[in-house]
Amino acid sequence: MKKYKLILTVLLGAFLIGSCSTDDLELTNPNQLSPDTFFSNESQVQSAVNAAYANLQPFGLYGRLVFYMMDNMSHEQSGNGQQEGDKVTFADFSFDSSLPSIQDYWDGCFRGINKANFVISNSELINSLPESELSTKNKAKYIGEARFLRAHYYWLLINRFGKLPIYLGDGSDDPQGQPMSSKEDVINLIIEDLTYASANLLDKGEEVRGRVNKGAAQATLGKVLLYQESYGPALAAFKSMSGYALEADYYDNFMEETEHGVESIFEIEYDVALGTDQFWWSPVNGLGPNHATKRGQDYGVLDWFNVYPSDDLVAEFEAGDKRFAGSFYVVGDTYNNGANTFKESDFAENGGNIRPVAWKKYQNYYQRASENGDSGINVKVIRYADVLLMMAECENEVGTQATAIGYINQVRARAEVPALATSLTKQAVFDAIVHERKVELNGEQVRFDDMIRWGIVASELADTNFQSGKNELWPIPDQEISTNANMSSADQNPGY
Amino acid sequence: MKFKLAIITLVMICTQNIISQTTTVSGVVTDNLGNPLPGVTVLVEGVSKGASTDFDGNFSIDDVSASNTLVFSYVGMYTQNILVGSETKFDVVLLASAESLDEIVVVGYGSQSRAEVTGAIAVVGAEAVEALPVTNAESALQGRASGVTVASSGVPGSSPSVLIRGLGSIGNNTPLYVIDGVITGNLSGISPNDIESISVLKDASTTAVYGAQGSSGVILVTTKKGKNGQSKLDFNTYAGFQSVTKRYDVLGTIDYLKYAGELGVFPNRPLSTYTTDTDWQDEIFQDGFIQDYNLTYSGGSDTGSHLFSAEYLSQEGTLVNTGYERYSFRANSSAKFGKVTIGETMSISFGKQNPELNSGGRSVIEHAIKSAPYLQVYNSNNLGGFQGPSSSADGQDAENPVRVQTHPDAVNKTLGIVGNVYAELEIIEGLNFKTLVGLDYYTYDNSNFISSYSDDSVEGSNTNFQDYASISRNNGYGQTIMFTNSLVYNKTLADVHNFELLALVEKFESKSYSRSASSRNYVTNEVDQLSNSFSNISSGSSETNKLGYLGRVNYNYDGKYIASASYRRDASSRFGANKRWSNFYSGSVGWNIAKESFLEDTAFSTLKLRASYGTVGSDGIGDYQYAPTLTDGFEYPIDGAVAVGVTADGGSNQDLQWESKEIINVGLDVGLFNEKITAAFEYYKNTSDDLLIYIPSVLSSGIHAGSLPVNAGSVETSGFEVSLGYNDYEGDFTWSANLNLGTSKNEVISLGGRDDITGSPYKLGGGNITRSIVGEPLFHFYGLVSDGIYRTQEEVEAVLTGNPGQSTVQPGDIRFKDLNNDGFINSDDRAIIGNPFPDLTYGFNFDANYKHFDFNFFVTGVSGNEIFNTNTYDLVGGANRLFNISTEYNENRWSASNPEGTEPRALGAPQNNGVSDRFVEDGSYARLKNISLGYSLSEGFLGDYVSKLRFYLSAQNLITITDYSGLDPEIGGGEFGIDRGNYPQPKSIILGLQVSF
Repeated sequence: MKKYKLILTVLLGAFLIGSCSTDDLELTNPNQLSPDTFFSNESQVQSAVNAAYANLQPFGLYGRLVFYMMDNMSHEQSGNGQQEGDKVTFADFSFDSSLPSIQDYWDGCFRGINKANFVISNSELINSLPESELSTKNKAKYIGEARFLRAHYYWLLINRFGKLPIYLGDGSDDPQGQPMSSKEDVINLIIEDLTYASANLLDKGEEVRGRVNKGAAQATLGKVLLYQESYGPALAAFKSMSGYALEADYYDNFMEETEHGVESIFEIEYDVALGTDQFWWSPVNGLGPNHATKRGQDYGVLDWFNVYPSDDLVAEFEAGDKRFAGSFYVVGDTYNNGANTFKESDFAENGGNIRPVAWKKYQNYYQRASENGDSGINVKVIRYADVLLMMAECENEVGTQATAIGYINQVRARAEVPALATSLTKQAVFDAIVHERKVELNGEQVRFDDMIRWGIVASELADTNFQSGKNELWPIPDQEISTNANMSSADQNPGY
Repeated sequence: MKFKLAIITLVMICTQNIISQTTTVSGVVTDNLGNPLPGVTVLVEGVSKGASTDFDGNFSIDDVSASNTLVFSYVGMYTQNILVGSETKFDVVLLASAESLDEIVVVGYGSQSRAEVTGAIAVVGAEAVEALPVTNAESALQGRASGVTVASSGVPGSSPSVLIRGLGSIGNNTPLYVIDGVITGNLSGISPNDIESISVLKDASTTAVYGAQGSSGVILVTTKKGKNGQSKLDFNTYAGFQSVTKRYDVLGTIDYLKYAGELGVFPNRPLSTYTTDTDWQDEIFQDGFIQDYNLTYSGGSDTGSHLFSAEYLSQEGTLVNTGYERYSFRANSSAKFGKVTIGETMSISFGKQNPELNSGGRSVIEHAIKSAPYLQVYNSNNLGGFQGPSSSADGQDAENPVRVQTHPDAVNKTLGIVGNVYAELEIIEGLNFKTLVGLDYYTYDNSNFISSYSDDSVEGSNTNFQDYASISRNNGYGQTIMFTNSLVYNKTLADVHNFELLALVEKFESKSYSRSASSRNYVTNEVDQLSNSFSNISSGSSETNKLGYLGRVNYNYDGKYIASASYRRDASSRFGANKRWSNFYSGSVGWNIAKESFLEDTAFSTLKLRASYGTVGSDGIGDYQYAPTLTDGFEYPIDGAVAVGVTADGGSNQDLQWESKEIINVGLDVGLFNEKITAAFEYYKNTSDDLLIYIPSVLSSGIHAGSLPVNAGSVETSGFEVSLGYNDYEGDFTWSANLNLGTSKNEVISLGGRDDITGSPYKLGGGNITRSIVGEPLFHFYGLVSDGIYRTQEEVEAVLTGNPGQSTVQPGDIRFKDLNNDGFINSDDRAIIGNPFPDLTYGFNFDANYKHFDFNFFVTGVSGNEIFNTNTYDLVGGANRLFNISTEYNENRWSASNPEGTEPRALGAPQNNGVSDRFVEDGSYARLKNISLGYSLSEGFLGDYVSKLRFYLSAQNLITITDYSGLDPEIGGGEFGIDRGNYPQPKSIILGLQVSF
């Protein structure tokens, strides 16, 4: 009996130990892909490139904040009483380094850079794919898209922050955070990327709608060079473009049905039919369907009506300028495919004043009775009229005034305003460009940067809280300084 | 066995006839609650004669003379001596003796006599759980166990947050819940009526046996079992009303319109609109009816026991359209076949919750504060039937809170099964083998249907609307199976050396699966089912496996000198192969000084000194975090179709390892005058290390995950705990009082080289509320420090010297302290402005019985903590645009006509409304958690079948003493001490009935 019990005890003891195998402790995540085998075919390469686009859409960038913040800072618009405080801070320049929207902008751009770097840093793997899987031309094109996007995100950042940490994704990045690099270094990287993209992207006709093409790279390169006052190289970049023209109707640039027209160079894609559910979920991460902007509802006179075109902007228009009706609604205009007419009470701001005009550009009223929160109209980042005016600026510096005026007059002709005399002085041409860009590109997020590079921002915004020497730049977000071991409050921009 | 012998002996004795002039005495023996006590020994003193009570507590002894004394004795009860005299009928009430404090305490993987416990354990028994009608087991712990902090939200069906000995980790601070040996996620599925006891394990000597899961303490729940010899049917029920009476005082229509005018925002509604004066808070709160029924049948014998119970709980929330309904069933049984015992405990519960809703990330209470009072609640002309504001007509857009909360059809259904099956074999005397299979299984199914609505389609434009019906369904399941095999050997050598040896192996397999889907219907509101229109679906699954080996030795020398040691080795699939295994150990000693000869016959009935030291751990971070992955699901429209994107997730860490915690505990137990006065004192110091936490990744690194799992830093938490008790069990009037309190102070020792960790996002437009840095408590509030109001421009310029001529800050704005004296007020001027965690948590309980009446009075509270009240932001117009505000702010705000105002001007500098001490308040409170009066009907009234019948009237949360201005200072939910318009706990009045057959 004793023996039997002893055996039983030993057996149970063995069971105790043996019942558990340690193999079960080795688990793999069933929800996500493993990086070990990625970049093995074209669709994987393409999907990595697609991810780099996705960060353009969320509301931290083009979905809401880019247009809202830039239009408020440039004072092309004024705010209605109910405008939310964080939006108001851009109109009255009271933003500081803790403001989430500034952090979102920074975060969103760097997430885009990280995704572009995921492609660029795997160039070797991509280039080692067999020709039958992916042609050499398309390998260069995909890498070119990633480099264009990286340049674009850095460009959005450098104009707002003045200096940046540079991440290349090539293994040299410090996991504790990169230190600040000078504006010059960032611009050099942007130029390098855009030069590569200009050489390797497909022509507009060859590339599908939505992907960046050669013209976009050339125009952006020209713009970057113009900002550096490298007028000759900028002009060369613009002149290398081909296949672009002005739309016959100015308003065709701002409707859904006429996207990707002949004037279009680089658009941010939105398409409500593809889904909008993730809009509020994250301002930065780009996951899920984010295919709408909030502009229609934010700006819409029948909807939230948070903002309206400023008196200063409206006053800039010459009599008879066709762009007025392409940009603004007035009482008596019809909407909803002609079925409805705006009445005076529609234009009442808080306090009862009747506004003379309301935003029409990028609104959906032409096709609907009201905005519904989701706008599917693409955002034009660069269009050919902008390029023409930038070419005029370059010509005015390094070419002839007459050629410059010729470019301006192309833009004016469509607006049906009188052509400028070709005999103007350099200063007069410059002044004409300042006026023309303010009118032609109103509400398109170029004026604030224009005013800064022209050195007129302090005088143009004299009636606001704008502080010269401070508000040209945004503060570096607190969160960056606290998470980045190689950055300190000494890196903060002046005045913040 | 002794029993049988005694009875046989008694029977033999009784057959003899010795003395004449005798009488027969009889009677019933009950406990103080009127429950009959079977098996009580009744002896006639000085004579070898006696009896034992039967199942109904009856006894009868023949041939007793008037000069005899009857001695009633029963294990765990005070022995009573009664002179027979002329009486023949004796109805005796036996009272629980102090010796019963030497109860059996449930500990990890076993049980111990209280006298042999060397660790820190608080026990809450069934009486305390049943004393007040609570809807969940966690609430029964509140104020009952020293060092345990419970914070509930008022949301019916929500689980309170429980902390044992305060905060010790940046990441997970949730204790481990174990129900009858089965590790579960929480206690939500268990009916409080089924609980026999709850043991709260607080120090290393008690928690180290759970090794890798014990770092935040352990809560062991033991459910009731059938008792030997009793077949019993219990029926408990209660019903009552719950209400929220406190309101924020906000402007009525007339004052609101004046204020709007001052802001330059004139609502332009038809004049007749302004005759309405809606109190939005009254519209969202209601009186809620609560009812609970519980039926338990139990019984047992030498060969087994059984218990079956069923419960139905229905609770209407005090917030409109919230509520909770639960059906739960339990079957516990065991059977004995020779040396084998087989048993099981199994419970199943069905829950149905109508949750608290929000819109735009804003709570219903926030919307109610901000809404314009002149708007009606309902308007049948609007799609959906509600009235809300239009930005254009009203200059504001706070959503109609009644629509937010009542328009959606939101139901969360749950099913939970928790149970085990075990077998125990006695191999040789003292050596037992036990195998246990435990199951924790749950499913959930959350559905939300919102038909299309437009809150102002008639009068104005569309501000708050949805032009489609939205349907969402989220469901899934989770399943944990655990196997525990153990060998226990009990041996006593030379009568004084008592050993208990335990060897155990435990395997834990857990999986979960979730699925979520949503779609829209633009065509009809009639169909609440998913379709392929604007559909969005996703699913995910996850698995965790763990393996642990445990060895433990308990030793005591004659009950005087006690020592124990344990060692546990654990592995978790959450870590990479090189970091997977970890070791945890503990040791403890105790000295029962009262058993020493020099304390014999003194007032000390208990005097025990004990100390323990050990380590515990945690793998409290997500699954698979050590392995790099890619993330898909990025989208961008290319050529009219969605192009899907994939990129590196970036949020993994191969070197992730166990979080560990070192715990030192010293305790002293004192009992005086046969335990009439009891006291226990504890000191503890917990030092955690390698804390598992997700830290924000470097923002500019742009990694998708946005955070990295790391082992970062260390926190030291220390404190004292005291329990004091007084028991008076003599006479008709008996009473007991108990006070327990615990302090907890934590300090961050290291953050793994990081400057700080911030958290808890503020409102739209403003940073974080909390921060943790080395040398300070975790999660303290961090913001600007105010210093009154600027009265003149000169005062402004005197502070903002670095920014002269600035125009954002003006007279009437808050003068914030320029702490770094640089002439700017910015984020560099922030300071610590509050600590959300209380210094002191306490509970005071008073019980009294007088004849048929019983009375309970129970107070809980915390002190020394602060609350960040985000409602204040709304009440003072913090959004810097028109919304309703508080009367107090309106009267005190600075304006040209009120230059002495103490509150900042309306539409002032944005800084006024950033994170600052303006929103921080003292969060201390003392709450009358329960007051109740009960009446038990006397025996004779009840007939043969009813052994107990008690009525009671009780009120919960009747009085709260606090300086906090918000609706409820007890902030439940995930964040510590931040009131975001939290659902307050109701006051309730309950009528209850308890019957036993």
